[in-house]
Amino acid sequence: MGRVLGKRTRHAVGIGLVAGIVVIYLVMVGLANAFAQRPAITGIGVESGPGLLTLGRVMIGGAFFLAGLAVGSRFLGPQDRRERLLAVVGGSALTGAVGGASLGAFMLFAATVPMSDIFLPVTQGAVSFLAFGNPPEIGAIAWILIGTLTASAAGALALLQKRDRSAVLNGIAFTLLVSLIEPILRPILGQVGLREVTAFLYSGGGLTQHAAVFLFAGVVIASWAWERPAAPVRMRMRQMPQANRRRAGLAFAVLAIVGLLVLPQISTGFVNQVLVNVGFFLMLALGLNIVVGYAGLLDLGYVAFYAVGAYTMALLTAPTSSLGGPLTDLGGVEYGFWLALPVVIIVAALVGIFIGAPVLRLRGDYLAIVTLGFGEIARFLLRSEAMRDSLGGPAGVVGIPNMHIPFVGTELVSAGEYFYPVVGFAAIAAYVAWRLSNSRTGRAWNAMREDETVAAATGINVTNYKLLAFALGGTLGGLAGGLFAVQLRSVYPDSFLLIISFTALAIIIMGGMGTIKGVVAGALILVGLPEALREFGEYRYLLYGAALVAMMILRPEGFFPSRIRRAELHEDIEREEEPQLPESHGGPPAETTRGVAVPDTPR
Amino acid sequence: MLRGVLPKRLTLVEVVLWALRIGVVVFVIVGAYATLSQNKLGASGWVLLTTSGLSQGAIYALIALGYTMVYGVLFMINFAHGEVFMMGSFAGMFVAMAMSANGILEDQPLLALPVIFAAAMITSMLVAIVLERVAYRPLRRAPRLVPLITAIGASLFLQYTAFGMFGPRARRYPPVELLQGRVDLFGFSFQRIELITIIACVVLMAVLYWFVERTRTGRSMRAVSENKDVAALMGINVDRVVVTTFAIGGLLAGFAGVLFSFLFNRVSWDMGLLVGIKAFTAAVLGGIGNIVGAMLGGVALGVIENVGPSLLLLGFDVPSSHQLKDVLAFTVLILVLVFRPTGFLGRKDNV
Repeated sequence: MGRVLGKRTRHAVGIGLVAGIVVIYLVMVGLANAFAQRPAITGIGVESGPGLLTLGRVMIGGAFFLAGLAVGSRFLGPQDRRERLLAVVGGSALTGAVGGASLGAFMLFAATVPMSDIFLPVTQGAVSFLAFGNPPEIGAIAWILIGTLTASAAGALALLQKRDRSAVLNGIAFTLLVSLIEPILRPILGQVGLREVTAFLYSGGGLTQHAAVFLFAGVVIASWAWERPAAPVRMRMRQMPQANRRRAGLAFAVLAIVGLLVLPQISTGFVNQVLVNVGFFLMLALGLNIVVGYAGLLDLGYVAFYAVGAYTMALLTAPTSSLGGPLTDLGGVEYGFWLALPVVIIVAALVGIFIGAPVLRLRGDYLAIVTLGFGEIARFLLRSEAMRDSLGGPAGVVGIPNMHIPFVGTELVSAGEYFYPVVGFAAIAAYVAWRLSNSRTGRAWNAMREDETVAAATGINVTNYKLLAFALGGTLGGLAGGLFAVQLRSVYPDSFLLIISFTALAIIIMGGMGTIKGVVAGALILVGLPEALREFGEYRYLLYGAALVAMMILRPEGFFPSRIRRAELHEDIEREEEPQLPESHGGPPAETTRGVAVPDTPR
Repeated sequence: MLRGVLPKRLTLVEVVLWALRIGVVVFVIVGAYATLSQNKLGASGWVLLTTSGLSQGAIYALIALGYTMVYGVLFMINFAHGEVFMMGSFAGMFVAMAMSANGILEDQPLLALPVIFAAAMITSMLVAIVLERVAYRPLRRAPRLVPLITAIGASLFLQYTAFGMFGPRARRYPPVELLQGRVDLFGFSFQRIELITIIACVVLMAVLYWFVERTRTGRSMRAVSENKDVAALMGINVDRVVVTTFAIGGLLAGFAGVLFSFLFNRVSWDMGLLVGIKAFTAAVLGGIGNIVGAMLGGVALGVIENVGPSLLLLGFDVPSSHQLKDVLAFTVLILVLVFRPTGFLGRKDNV
């Protein structure tokens, strides 16, 4: 059959089948259903209710759209304009039709053979949702049509100029994003008093139709104007003298800081809690970034530091704990936290050294597993009956007094008030990490990560630098844990699951190992977005898993890579593939290192 | 005599390591003496703990074989192998439930059980093959930590796939009369399922040993594990050998999944992680890359984990010491990796 169809057709059908499998997976795992009731754009097709365009369906359509885009951009081969149009649009339409047909076949199957005993999300309700409330046959035909239309529209985008295409894609992405962050943006806009804007933008949990059109058109025009070959805005920015540009940067920074300071005042408790959680994970990821990103030691038991910090804080300050909160006795509720904080930091650093010392000589992947073992031991000990008298067992430690601002004496209660110290400490952590990365220490870590033997030969004390990385990483993790304990006012062993280590890992992998910008972006996207979107629930970990696999395969350096890291990763692949490259050649081609001088590392 | 053992200059790390070594030995001796001198468990108690340790260990050994074979061929820790095991257990449960609904499971258990095992094994095998194809093959030549991170991602992905598809609640297999009850042997009373588990695992491991040592495919597997590039030059299709390795690991994990769920009467989306790490511990304990080592390591870990907490902690009157079996397993993992990363039978060049 394959011979007859021709290469292009086979290709289009193949991608269509992949899209179909992805979509069926989304339905079977329950993701499409979780977002079934959440409108993307309200009121399309029906007068009331979530309407036809819910996020669940947008997700499915999105898969077809991406498949069409992939096919379209690959079929640009033919020179003749008509032939090319036919290849691109026809190919992507075929892809969409195949994808839609797969989903349709699945719907028909699910409607006749009930499988909700095995696959819990595939209920008759879910099938009916997929079929737009119609019988499954009609739903199947509808999806074939939708798949064909979305995919061919996406494929046609490939025919456009790059600038036009990215303008349209930006428009779609931005409109979707504004719709997604409705739970965050709507309360904030409401608090600021922009009720008219809110009413214009949102209704019933999604964008209104007018707002969607308005946003899309606005972003398309803006993006198009920005990308114009000699766009005035861009030109002016490029021609700005250095001093002005620095001033503009400074102004932007001040604006961002003011924005951060005002943010908790204008948002609701829910949003503030999300932001505080992002802050905790930001600190965790910054600390893990020192160990993994800078020093190259994959620590999978990082959550142990979080737990150590939290429990140290709890035992030292909670009057009901086994220690009786000695530092609260000493300094009163006002200063208890501040007295405990240095202890927390020192204890976490010592634990870092204690864990680090025995594992120093282990090779990378064994080190990862050993640290994972430490993390699990910590959790089992916290939960065990044997340690109940000292650590509280499964019931944890409760009654940690709130943080007070020193000298002023104000008690912090709500998440909005905790936002400030959390952001403050996160900023300190980021500053420390940034200074470290550009220091002698940071360079030593770089060298060690690239090649331990060579680093040792150049006089770097590998042992000490590794221990330092563990201690500093542990410090930041412990600090995050201490703040977490105070903000929650209680600690439980089940707050310190392995998944926290993996979340922090996903953040730094996604953002780009070794860069602070990447860590911040990663924390906002991977922690902030799923927390804000309540529908995600536990599915966020599915997303982390997929993200880790996809990033490692497609873009191991992350979205905001440090230049050294990128050069390293690509050099490694380059070297493995071309072992016959003579050493005297002068290292890898300049294109892969992007002009960064990377020491030639013999292996 | 100590001159050869002790380094010339004691660094901080050396001090910590020696303190750890001495501490472990002292703790084991004192703990065992305290427990045994108080004679808290009778002989039958120890025998029962040992048999449950052996049966659990046999299951660890089956899963550990998957880790060790993949490590032998690709030098990567297939962190998602525990999830392969979990998926098999689920598949077996669904088949068992369907057959229980028809009454086949009760009427013809000897016919039904092989079908359950086959379903689990085939599912696990397919998951393992897809895993290799999608997640690991593109990274065959990447730096060493990259496949490990991918494997962690794949593990998360599979766990939460099961969470989403099969639900957050733990489930159980329908009861099979054939596997329940107790057997009296040598004056002790054993659980029947434990004995069946041990026997089944021994048979399966013998088959695997024969396969790897005597068949052509087994020989090419050993060749690839020795040196991938040279094996390719000898006309061995490395990709096919890798897939075969994953497939065999999956088959064994699926078998273990069914046994595990009959033994503990529990199937859940998060069962793979802990069992997987323990099986990896078993693989390391036996010497990673070594098939016989994985079997020995599995059995050793199972026994240590079941006998150890009572042996070491009962004497100190630690409350519910059995809860600490996981702590003990992880401690074994750490101690082995730190002090003897080659395990019982491992090759030096693997570490």
